[in-house]
Amino acid sequence: MQRRSWAEPFKIKMVEHLRMTTRADRERAIAEAGCNTFLLRSEDVYIDLLTDSGTSAMSDHQWAGMMQGDEAYAGSANFYHLESAVREFYGYQHVIPTHQGRGAEHILSQLCIRRGDFVPGNMYFTTTKVHQELAGGQFVDVIVDQAHDPGAEYAFKGNVDLDKLTRLVERVGAARIPYLSLHATVNMAGGQPISMANARDVARLCRRHGIKVFLDATRAVENCYFIKQREPEYADKSLAEILRELCSYTDGCTMSGKKDCLVNIGGFLAVNDDELADAAQNMVVIYEGLHTYGGLAGRDMEAMAIGIRESVQYDHMHARIGQVQYLGEMIVREGVPVVRPVGGHGIFLDARRFLPHIPREQFPAQALAAALYVDSGVRAMERGAVSAGRDPATGRNHYPRLELLRLAIPRRVYTQAHMDVTAESVIALYQQRDRIVGLKFTYEPKHLRFFRARFAPVEGDKVLGD
Amino acid sequence: MKTIIEPFRIKSIEPIRMTTREQREAILRAAGFNLFLVRADDVIIDLLTDSGTGAMSSEQWAGIMRGDESYAGAASFYRFQARIQELTGFEHILPTHQGRASERILFELIGGPGKVIPNNAHFDTTRANIEHSGATAVDLPIAEAADPGCRHPFKGNMNVEALERLIAEVGRERIPLVIVTVTNNSGGGQPVSLENLRAVRSVCDRYELPLFLDACRFAENAYFIKQREPSQAGRSVREIVLEMFSLADGATNSAKKDGLANIGGMLLLRDACLLQRASNLLILTEGFITYGGLAGRDLEAMAQGFEEVVDEDYLAYRIRSVEYVGERLTEADIPIVQPPGGHAIYIDAAALCPHIPREQFPGQAVVCDLYRMGGVRAVEIGSVMFGKAGSAGMDRRDDGSPARLELVRLAMPRRVYTQSHMDYVVEVCAALGNRRGQLRGLRMVYEPPVLRHFTARFEEE
Repeated sequence: MQRRSWAEPFKIKMVEHLRMTTRADRERAIAEAGCNTFLLRSEDVYIDLLTDSGTSAMSDHQWAGMMQGDEAYAGSANFYHLESAVREFYGYQHVIPTHQGRGAEHILSQLCIRRGDFVPGNMYFTTTKVHQELAGGQFVDVIVDQAHDPGAEYAFKGNVDLDKLTRLVERVGAARIPYLSLHATVNMAGGQPISMANARDVARLCRRHGIKVFLDATRAVENCYFIKQREPEYADKSLAEILRELCSYTDGCTMSGKKDCLVNIGGFLAVNDDELADAAQNMVVIYEGLHTYGGLAGRDMEAMAIGIRESVQYDHMHARIGQVQYLGEMIVREGVPVVRPVGGHGIFLDARRFLPHIPREQFPAQALAAALYVDSGVRAMERGAVSAGRDPATGRNHYPRLELLRLAIPRRVYTQAHMDVTAESVIALYQQRDRIVGLKFTYEPKHLRFFRARFAPVEGDKVLGD
Repeated sequence: MKTIIEPFRIKSIEPIRMTTREQREAILRAAGFNLFLVRADDVIIDLLTDSGTGAMSSEQWAGIMRGDESYAGAASFYRFQARIQELTGFEHILPTHQGRASERILFELIGGPGKVIPNNAHFDTTRANIEHSGATAVDLPIAEAADPGCRHPFKGNMNVEALERLIAEVGRERIPLVIVTVTNNSGGGQPVSLENLRAVRSVCDRYELPLFLDACRFAENAYFIKQREPSQAGRSVREIVLEMFSLADGATNSAKKDGLANIGGMLLLRDACLLQRASNLLILTEGFITYGGLAGRDLEAMAQGFEEVVDEDYLAYRIRSVEYVGERLTEADIPIVQPPGGHAIYIDAAALCPHIPREQFPGQAVVCDLYRMGGVRAVEIGSVMFGKAGSAGMDRRDDGSPARLELVRLAMPRRVYTQSHMDYVVEVCAALGNRRGQLRGLRMVYEPPVLRHFTARFEEE
């Protein structure tokens, strides 16, 4: 019989109870949280799609590894396991563990960027951009134009636009560009992949100008799955082979292990250059921990080493991406506007088209997040004007072309029935979208405001009318 | 009963790999005579640090399984917060991935060029963080701290007159805060008395300076107060802990010591304005305010660990087992800092090996021989760690001359090693004592720019 549906290549070994809430409970909770889903208590949340970062379920092998944690301060056996897993699957020579991805970004930015430098990348990411700016650099977006159009059906919407990159080099000179930051997949564009051909071309161009390329490898294995699906010459290659080739076009990577590597905490910086590795080891001691633990418990390095091996298994990735596609198809079928095609780690609802009656100054994606929570207890994350913040020079709000609500799917945590509930709630909201009310700030922090901002409905006291 | 036994039994074990002396000789050379560069697998008894190396209880492991890994608002965070609020009386608690992250955030906000930060004695990462911000770190220990043989009950105390002199000299506006480290790690794990803390507090009040605790080993310090400060004998450790924290305006903490956890730390604050700025920096470099760069399960392990550490049966066992090693070493004529501290024994390497000049790092020579003889890993706290400008320094001299004390620290992980392990360590030390004349000095052949002790390499003279 022809297999029509995907199924998880695992069974459940341990469960975590969920608390059911009533609509009245949720209305109270969202009001207390200032209509910001970041400020909800997790016990008030039914299905938590706030992020796919650090929220995955570990395997029994990983839990066994947790028990084998070698908590020695120096020279822990778990570090050497992690180092050899990174060398084997990503192919980089030197591995510096960090407590999570932003620790690696911090060190790379501090070591490589000088005041006045430009750092091109295929779309910004919140914490990456702030680290580059703190180091004195300026981020320059060189992603293809299609990435900014949620409706454009294009197989590799994460690709770098080589003309934009060439123009930047001509404008500022290669000497002012310490490296290109290559994201695979591109989170802010909707989890969109880059093609292998594009990575190869970027590497060739950058090498010609002596510009290094650092991969944000957070979801690189998911990217490799799309390459296998969509780039014909890779159809018969294993994910591990594709990953090795992708990394071979770069000089190193920053990694948040909380995504692809299937762990709850941990990250690393990996580089090939001996001198850069030496400098990074000296710096990691100050900010994170000695270079053989980087601020992680030994057990967490072990779980990451095992998670890396699990992440490149085709069956795992097929089920992972399959689940995201399943949710996406249900929502798309009912005409709900989403970023197309559906990406690797979540569904991104297009809030501008979902809520055309709410002007951008009233933060439609934020309002949609609050309304979705009130309707069903599903927690999602705004990725639009609130996340983009204000222009530091003019003080005006940035209004990026994409005003999105991200439903990020944790790995191996939720079942098909959870996805069905989520789809039902999104579709029901779309059908009664006129009842959703826009928001205004009641508290606005200066930096990374989306984490802790508070809002209130522009009229009445409910974000989702009865 | 006179014998103090462990108030626990063993639930899970980790095998130790045995090595021969020949193997260890080769390993030592390959690691450039720096024990930080030896693989843990090649160590028999690991006394490198008591930080993050403790054994967790079954309750803590249960917490590990219960960890709520939600990115924001995890139930584990609220349990952790409630426990710490109850223990310390502080309302605002920021979790961090470990102690040095708390320090970095604090000093990035209140440090900077021209600032002067007094402490009874800064530890290596604290000093590195302060100096990284451009500020100057000043140590103000009492005079007795300099004499390893002196058995003062509170050798960790701050010199209160020296503090007043410093304030008069540099002016209060250049001093953003005063820090007291409990217990005083670089001074030998020595406690600070409640009386001394109160005196420092009243100086701070007079000059309107905030007082912060470096509270890594607050429970061990509180137990010494109960034991040694006559007016405090009738109080519970929990009450003393609460008073210690009530005297402070803030605290940095590494949960890898008295939190009985393998990872984690926190920053405690009263000032709402500082809290806002610290929260922003926390999000940028550590993680969101309800997880601070930790897994949810680690918050659970901390919440439970901070509860277990103030149990007085635990503290009696903990302090007594360190003291036991001190007594046995003293019987074997090994010179140590007296009285034994709370978390470690500090061997006086300069007294043990007077034939090795300080420029040849007698402490490092002793550390290497402990490993060579018995596979015991200790750490030098002397001229390698604190000796030269650009490295961390307890008693740093600008001319690069050696530190005042040449110590070797045997740090005791919590609840990990048994009395027979300790008897073995004493035997190794005694054997080393008998061959002390054969120990050779070392010369540094690679020196990294900061915190050199972690990655430096040596050759034997």
